[in-house]
Amino acid sequence: MPRIPIIMPQLGESIAEATIVRLPFSVGAEVAADQEIIEVETNKATMGVTTPCRGTLLELKVEIGKTYAVGTVLGYVEVSEEEAKRLGVGEATVESGPLKMDAGPSPTSSVTPVVHGLPVPAHAAGIAYMSPRMKARMNELGLQQADLAGIAGSGAGGRVTIEDLEEFLYRLDEHKQSPASSMRVAVADAMRRSWTRPLATVGRPVRLDALLAHRKASAAKSGPALYALRALAIALGENSAPAGRLVGGKIVHPKAIDVGFAVEAEDGVLVPVLRNADTIPLAELLPRYDELVELARLRRLPVSAQGGSIATVTNFGTFGLTWATPIPLPEQTLVLGLGAGSVVPSWDKGKSQFVPVTEAHVTLSFDHRVLDGGAAGRLLRRIVELLQEPEKL
Amino acid sequence: MLQTSDLASVKPQTDTRRDRYLGAFRWMLLARVFEEKLASLYRGGKVIGGVFLSKGQEALSAALAVSLRKGDIYAPLIRDAAGRFAFGETLLDAARTIVGSRLGPMRGREGNIHRGKPREGYYAMISHLGVMVSTVAGGLVARRFKGVKDVVGATCIGDGGTSTGSFHEGLNMAAVEKLPLVVVVANNQYAYSTPTSEQYACADLVDRAIGYGVRGHKIDGTDPQACFDVVGEAVARARAGEGPQMVVADLLRLVGHGEHDDAHYVNHALKVSPIGRDCLDVARTQIGAAGWMTPSQIDALREQLQAEVESTFATALREPLPDPNLEDWRALSTESLAEGNV
Amino acid sequence: MPITYLEAIREAQAKLLADDPRVFIYGQDVGNFGGAFKATKGLAKEFPGRVLDSPISEDAQVGLAIGAAIEGMRPIVEMQFADFSTCGLNQIINHAATMFWRTNVKCPITVRLPSGGTAGAGPFHSQSMEALYAHYPGLIVLNPATVEDAYSMLIAAVHIDDPVIFCEHKYLYYHLKAESLPTEALPIGKARVARPGRDATIVTYSAMLHEALACAEELAQDGWQIEVVDLRSVKPLDTDTILGSVARTGRLLVVGEAFPWGGVTAEVVARVATEGFGLLDAPPMRLNAKDTPVPYHPNLWGTHRPTARAICGAMRELLHA
Repeated sequence: MPRIPIIMPQLGESIAEATIVRLPFSVGAEVAADQEIIEVETNKATMGVTTPCRGTLLELKVEIGKTYAVGTVLGYVEVSEEEAKRLGVGEATVESGPLKMDAGPSPTSSVTPVVHGLPVPAHAAGIAYMSPRMKARMNELGLQQADLAGIAGSGAGGRVTIEDLEEFLYRLDEHKQSPASSMRVAVADAMRRSWTRPLATVGRPVRLDALLAHRKASAAKSGPALYALRALAIALGENSAPAGRLVGGKIVHPKAIDVGFAVEAEDGVLVPVLRNADTIPLAELLPRYDELVELARLRRLPVSAQGGSIATVTNFGTFGLTWATPIPLPEQTLVLGLGAGSVVPSWDKGKSQFVPVTEAHVTLSFDHRVLDGGAAGRLLRRIVELLQEPEKL
Repeated sequence: MLQTSDLASVKPQTDTRRDRYLGAFRWMLLARVFEEKLASLYRGGKVIGGVFLSKGQEALSAALAVSLRKGDIYAPLIRDAAGRFAFGETLLDAARTIVGSRLGPMRGREGNIHRGKPREGYYAMISHLGVMVSTVAGGLVARRFKGVKDVVGATCIGDGGTSTGSFHEGLNMAAVEKLPLVVVVANNQYAYSTPTSEQYACADLVDRAIGYGVRGHKIDGTDPQACFDVVGEAVARARAGEGPQMVVADLLRLVGHGEHDDAHYVNHALKVSPIGRDCLDVARTQIGAAGWMTPSQIDALREQLQAEVESTFATALREPLPDPNLEDWRALSTESLAEGNV
Repeated sequence: MPITYLEAIREAQAKLLADDPRVFIYGQDVGNFGGAFKATKGLAKEFPGRVLDSPISEDAQVGLAIGAAIEGMRPIVEMQFADFSTCGLNQIINHAATMFWRTNVKCPITVRLPSGGTAGAGPFHSQSMEALYAHYPGLIVLNPATVEDAYSMLIAAVHIDDPVIFCEHKYLYYHLKAESLPTEALPIGKARVARPGRDATIVTYSAMLHEALACAEELAQDGWQIEVVDLRSVKPLDTDTILGSVARTGRLLVVGEAFPWGGVTAEVVARVATEGFGLLDAPPMRLNAKDTPVPYHPNLWGTHRPTARAICGAMRELLHA
């Protein structure tokens, strides 16, 4: 037979417990529906606890004089099946349950942000998200996002949390560290900024024999880099479009064909500039070039001799490199690279045999927003053409 | 010269009927002259905010204040210029508040009739009507706790204000506590544009007294002698411990609700009926009939008071205005708990 | 001998009445009956004439207190339920709160509000009104969450020279017990770190403190160390302690039992966002009651306002953000 629990009810706001003062019925007694079977006292009044069903008082779990919390099971009444069904009560259905702070059948009532109509959810998640705390800490330490490339984020969607950052920095302290020179920091910043553009590189071989012969026959010897610079300058003088810059929806045209060249200096690279290089012949450029190289090596390059160039030439061949993809200066669209030359066999159609030629690779690294492969290729072809007639440079 | 430096109501040395009457009449005339100047300043753009005048109610207002003593509590309302001066407010304090002088008692933080000096028993009203009834009652409870005897608290209200829940709660509570409270209701027939027929349904506001369990008194508010007599009696009964007294005076508001209002809605029939009499005219008649002052003496008094008002306003208008940079912008008296402005 | 939150309030009032003749209590049923919640039980007898019954007139109750305060008394007004204080709202926010600023006369009244929900209380016996009063300049708003604070903060409240809205929580009245009354307390205006932590901060007050602590205890099983800050006073708000906590943890959840729009939780988040933007490693979160009146039936009431379980749900989201 079903048994119904008799539960200490909520007898007034903020009441937490009540004391048993009277038990008018003993176990085994027959009780009617809604009959008071236990008398309790709160600090406000005396009240009765009733049974919802007719039945037999099966069990009393309480003692007179003792205090019990609201929601405590005080006893049980045994009822008939019909009675239980009539009222829809039974051991399984304990209603308006004990008064715990967590009362109620609440599912996880989680906090969902309500954002209507925005394409991007307001959650802070994903690799691209950097919290304000992250940014503040990075500013404090002078860090850029590039410095954090080595951190895999543990936050939502893979974001880097402040804990991730602090752990990373903590681990760094296990290594020996030394300050980076200001030159290194400056170059790092320039390269980082340049890299924010989509860069591409094209390259092709160039025969150096004519250039080398011209050089041998000259009193003052220009390096291959200067020949390349002059060729680039003339080519840009003919068509400066490839050296334009893209800002928003506009192409910014170069004012003058000022071309720079890379000089390795201590901890970094300096780029002295030859102004109006399209108008000055090679022989006249040379003294200025040599002077600038010297000044650059001594770190005595005046500001007026730097900056403002529209393209740069870099001769990585001096390091033995045959090919490279240099990164243009952030304010420039182009960098022309010259690799190391070597003697290689070349098929001579006329002689129907391989003949030795001196060849190197020229590369053009460029901001692909401004030019495409075709224009880059055409520029390189023109430069290569010009280098076959060095006496005209 | 009728300036007082602290809030002590002027009590004539000899307490004759003549002296009492003429003492009150001075305040009525001062209030009238003061407000004429105030109105002209308003039209001259010298007053910021609202201007609310009491023309027609001077007798009733003065009657209450002259019956009070130093140590009593007085909470005047909108049309109580006469009572305020009679209770001891200086012309300078009034003028300063109105023109917004930084040196005034409200320091530019409040204006026009929202002024007062609560610690001296002269409570400063807030705009919500009826509120001051329970406030004065509270002041009286405090005096009772301190064992102060012989104290009376008085507040004024209009016909419209009696409709508020605040008024009802306050008077009911004061009656339960049997406090020495005097409530003077100036039934000037209009609450802004609302005539009494749209304000209450009972036959006479004084009938409510019985509902509150307090004694009611009815006066013709245009009759200064009646005002002085009846209001004086009501104050005396309160002081004697008879519990709250409710005085209802019938008169007519002789100006707009404020100077921005032309009162075109006022029933013309009222203006020409006895209720529309100007209490100052009635006073002149009563004074003349009693032979207390001649018309030319009254005129001379008026000129004297006018000169005082002129020079007081001139002083106040020359004074510096409130400066936001000198304000502490703090509403709490406890500095350590004030959060500062975000 | 353990003492309940309610008994602490009564003890505080007994001490105030005994120590200061300027103190008196005014409210409905506070006299011989001892108050609806028995907060003034026995006090009318012990202090004759100092605990007065008022008519059902919240406006006049506060008005009387204001007048008495002008004349130098230190009245305590007991509202029977916080929800009824709106009948006296005008006197509180327009009269008491403006008195000092307008007239330079202090208004040292204390208005006690039995606040917050209990099962079956319904919309008009359950409200938490601190945000409403905190909005108005010139008021101090206190929300004690512990038996000790109920005692010491009420004593402090009556000593403050400004109007104080003292929000007591009805559920805590008899459900919260302490071993004894305190002999010292944090000053008014300072929040308390109820539980130190490392991974996230919960800022809360009143009954929600205990829900938050229960949640912190549960999350500790999973290794999370949750810091819980008990505001104690809603106005002034102890921004320094809050910011200090967020500086340690970087993650913030503010929990309140009141309605969501513009409440205490919003104020805390606004301050942290403005003054501690760079301290946050995740967007700050708020957990409030639902944007409806407080429901009557416990099944509905159980989810209407935050519970330990709901707080845990929100915390897990915050911790994984």
